[in-house]
Amino acid sequence: MKTGFLRGRSASVALAIVIAVAILAAFGRWLAPQDPIAQNPYAMLQGPSAAHWLGTDAFGRDVLSRLLAGASSSVLASVFSVVIGLVFGVVPGMVSVFLDRRIEWLSLRFIDALMTLPFLVFAIAMTAMLGNGLIQAMFAVGILITPAFYRVSRAATLSVVNSDYIEAARLMGASTTSLIRRHVVRKVLPPVAVAIASMMGACLSIVASLTFLGIGVMPPNPTWGGVLATDLTTLYERPLGPLAPGLLIVATVWALNALADALRDADACPQKVRK
Amino acid sequence: MNQPATILTFPTRGARPVTPLEDPTALLTVGDLGIAGGGGRELVRGVSFSVPKGGTLGIVGESGSGKSLTCRAILGLLPDGLKVRSGAIRYGEQDLVGLSPPGWRALRGIHLAAVFQDPGSYLNPSISVGAQLVEALRATLKLDRVAAEDRAITLLKRVGLAEAEAVYRKYPFELSGGMAQRVLIAIAVSANPQLLIADEATTALDAMVQAEVLNLLDDLRREQGLTLILVSHDLAVVSKVCDQVVVMRAGSIVEAGPARTVLSDPAHDYTRSLIDSHHRYSIDDGDLTSRPTAAAAEPQRVPALLKIDSLHASYRRSSHPSSSVLHGIDIELDKGEILGLIGETGSGKTTILRSILGLVTPHSGTISFRGKEISGLRGRALRALRLSSDIQYVHQDPLRSLDPDLPIGASIAEGLDIKGELSRHERAERVVVTLEAVGLDPAFAARRPRDLSGGQRQRAVIARALILDPAILLLDEPVSALDAVSRTHVLDLMRDLARDRGIAQIFISHDLGSIAGIADRVAVLYQGRIVESRPTRELIDQPAHPYTRRLLDSVLRLEDDRPADGRLALPTN
Amino acid sequence: MSTVFENPIGAADNPVQPGIARSGHVLRITAALRFLWATLLVAVPIFLGATLITFLLGHASGLDPAAGIAGDAASPEVVARIRAQFGLDRPVIVQYIAWMAGIARGDFGTSWFNGVPVLLLITQRLPVSLSIAGAALLIGATVGTLLGIAAAVWRGRLIDRAVTGFASVASALPPFVVAIVLILVLSLWLNLLPSAGYIPFSDDPAGWLRVIAIPAMALSVEVIADLARQLRTGLVAALSENYVTGAIVRGLSPRRILFVHVLRNGAGPALSILSVRIPMLIGASVVTETIFTMPGIGKMAADSALRGDVPVVEGTLVVSIVIVLLCSILVNALIAVLQPASRRRG
Repeated sequence: MKTGFLRGRSASVALAIVIAVAILAAFGRWLAPQDPIAQNPYAMLQGPSAAHWLGTDAFGRDVLSRLLAGASSSVLASVFSVVIGLVFGVVPGMVSVFLDRRIEWLSLRFIDALMTLPFLVFAIAMTAMLGNGLIQAMFAVGILITPAFYRVSRAATLSVVNSDYIEAARLMGASTTSLIRRHVVRKVLPPVAVAIASMMGACLSIVASLTFLGIGVMPPNPTWGGVLATDLTTLYERPLGPLAPGLLIVATVWALNALADALRDADACPQKVRK
Repeated sequence: MNQPATILTFPTRGARPVTPLEDPTALLTVGDLGIAGGGGRELVRGVSFSVPKGGTLGIVGESGSGKSLTCRAILGLLPDGLKVRSGAIRYGEQDLVGLSPPGWRALRGIHLAAVFQDPGSYLNPSISVGAQLVEALRATLKLDRVAAEDRAITLLKRVGLAEAEAVYRKYPFELSGGMAQRVLIAIAVSANPQLLIADEATTALDAMVQAEVLNLLDDLRREQGLTLILVSHDLAVVSKVCDQVVVMRAGSIVEAGPARTVLSDPAHDYTRSLIDSHHRYSIDDGDLTSRPTAAAAEPQRVPALLKIDSLHASYRRSSHPSSSVLHGIDIELDKGEILGLIGETGSGKTTILRSILGLVTPHSGTISFRGKEISGLRGRALRALRLSSDIQYVHQDPLRSLDPDLPIGASIAEGLDIKGELSRHERAERVVVTLEAVGLDPAFAARRPRDLSGGQRQRAVIARALILDPAILLLDEPVSALDAVSRTHVLDLMRDLARDRGIAQIFISHDLGSIAGIADRVAVLYQGRIVESRPTRELIDQPAHPYTRRLLDSVLRLEDDRPADGRLALPTN
Repeated sequence: MSTVFENPIGAADNPVQPGIARSGHVLRITAALRFLWATLLVAVPIFLGATLITFLLGHASGLDPAAGIAGDAASPEVVARIRAQFGLDRPVIVQYIAWMAGIARGDFGTSWFNGVPVLLLITQRLPVSLSIAGAALLIGATVGTLLGIAAAVWRGRLIDRAVTGFASVASALPPFVVAIVLILVLSLWLNLLPSAGYIPFSDDPAGWLRVIAIPAMALSVEVIADLARQLRTGLVAALSENYVTGAIVRGLSPRRILFVHVLRNGAGPALSILSVRIPMLIGASVVTETIFTMPGIGKMAADSALRGDVPVVEGTLVVSIVIVLLCSILVNALIAVLQPASRRRG
């Protein structure tokens, strides 16, 4: 069932993009032809050329190298955020179903409270007030996406727990832990996988927005959002400047979302049930 | 109503039928209908019949026979991907195949109407039923709101809803199956249509409700001169209501003719097998007299295996409008005995089983197994009881009670897995043995639940209970969702388990026929009380309690002659 | 026949219903009150929880007004005195309660940066943010609904694939990317709309419309994508339900079936997603306010955060939380009215 999802063309393209970006994130720094933070006052704001494939920015830095190096910051930040969300969200979400009613209610309200916070503003506040570094940004975003994972794993667990086959197993003497191991985990994994893919996309977009606003950026280290921000200030001189970083961000986020959709369709493979 | 027997213009012995499109008295004619699905797969082939104005036609067959598809084609409701590939359908002078949407809108509701199985789902869950009735009236009869509301109330009263104003305001999920079907019938006949198609309209309903709804349809038919097409897999329903009958199998008609003739003296083997299956487990099963009753066998009885004493309990189902309450239930079950529990929906049958299993804590009373009290157990003690596997439960819906991602073998072995006693190899062997015992090919162990038929799934679920070697099996409506052939297989299995292995069983059903076929004793449950509990034969021959009598009366039998005045022989209160 | 069974026809299948005799009006009012009570029961703890998290953030940051007031070279005693002055030496819970009590009175504290009452700062800037967020919501809801319905009604055809493809790409576009593109096209190239500055509605309605146009469009893209996709899914699912067949068989017109029956039941997921999107919309206002240099609360919160001006940040967050909760309650009420089945207690 899982192998079938690659049949869609967009899913294959998406996977290719994601793998390419992953490679960039891992090895970007070494793939960059030039030093991303080296300034060159003699070659500022140039268009694409043989030496600088994507031109240079206002400080004479090679844009291509900055983007390649920036891949790792942006992507790793998203990965880290997703991991935090996973850790704080998935298991508590599953467990919440089996808890005492009142504790369950309280934990649900806490998650609701997190979801009520205005996302970007709170992320900025959290990052800025705790030190304004990329780590703080990752942590802030991670905490704010925890509710998404919590709800996904809780919903999946709920749908399983109320089923007749769980009741049948219980009637045969199964303990709660063996039920979770035997049935629940297998049902929770696919939706969580979908959530991981789509949250990765969302986090990348958010991290790009944060770095664009100058939050969590440790200059002169390049980030995709940061590059886009500087491009904005030099829009008049290099109107096509935002194209490269913009495309990178959009393509990666799109690929991750498309992957999530493909996973979701594969998981829900509806088959005709015989009467 | 007394029509002369219509000359259905085609032979009844399986030869290719002649299309009777020229019959002037026919209201609806279907000629050589062919329906194809995706990939050109033929689902219905060469179906021809006609229905005269004011007549009643029954279409019988098992699931997959194409009867519902034929009706959908008549109404223009074929699902996406299915098309009428050949043949014609004519309503009066009007061709229905390829009719345009405005054409359909002129016919539906006004000339053609339909009611289906699972009536509640055919109503918008977010709007009150009265509003939906009014909506239909305004769409078909173009009434203004006040007139429509009045007529709606009248209609609701006419279909026998006791408190019409209250029902008017209710939402579909607040209605029982029988009430919802009445509402749908009210909507269907609201504009005085010519033709009403009832597709398995009474299948999921309790026997008494079924009888009442059929009565209602018959009354309406005579009052309004309705032409009726009744589709069912239940032969008795068709024999009661219909003049003519058409038997379908695998997409074609195998036999057709006057109902009385076809169902008492069928020409085709398939029809004969259907009738046999129907008789096999029914109240008229002559076999009953030959089975010794438990009381006759042993004058000095060993203590009961399971004993329920003065049980008072209550349980609220989330899907049901009301809760069920038990008042003072007394039951005794011996080794190898099959007890049938019958009663209407909401009477408390499932609550009794759930109390035995410890899923419901009783208010008072005791339940004892082998002399030891098991009611009110919790926590570790309850789990220990469950691990001992003496009492096993078979859920009502096997599709929902099997993990869809696990192969059948793994589900069946789950009980052993939980106990952790045998090695993997030994478990696999036991699975094979048990599959054979329930009559399933051991190769099924690798398949998923969705690849099995309903009857096979039911047997798999029984296998899951059987593999643990229980002393008692509790079965919740095990055959209600199955067609006649699968039903006999499962009931046979249950009978063998009791006879050969001494497994006692409590078996819930709303179908007296199935219960009568294999139960040693029957307990009748009415509003939370057992009103009668006797050996099966005695209960059927000499019912003591009025409710039991009503229950027996509403069971539709195949042989009954239609009374001279044409009225169905059903209880009228 | 025994008198026990002299029930009217149909009584056999009438389950016992409590309260069947009450008239429609009374039933509806009690249902509404019950709903209100249930909502409050949930909304109040959420509000308390969210404000507590906000407050704890400020507390955990360790920031205080001392640096701003006394300068970098202040001695520890001076810092301690300033902290005590602001009540920052009390236990956390006490501070939190005092802060909430102040908010209840309308006192959101004063900015550590310029001493202006926080509430004043907020009320000056709130209309800006609300204009943009509100317009974005309006555009998003309208366009998203239209696209979602179109995709569902003509599913499988070109328009469905176009909408789905568009939604897929659009959800990958961060608002600031859309904003930049729109500026490039509408402002720099076509010179149709301004790219910076804000004109209040009261000053010049037409000008106000022109300045909020691009930012609102930029923010609305994600809403459109989400709504179109969820509505399509919900409607397609509703269209395959039996009650649609029932309605068709009764001879109802397709338009009526769609708008009265299908939309009502299929809009559930879309409405839910809307209530999740609103906090994100409010949060994203930071981006548009920064790019278009608008004096809104989002930008103010960001700038204050960078400056360490805790009261302003906290005050802004509280106001956002309240707005989000109100919208969420409204959406829940809408769902409850449209789909009474969801009110049913399991």
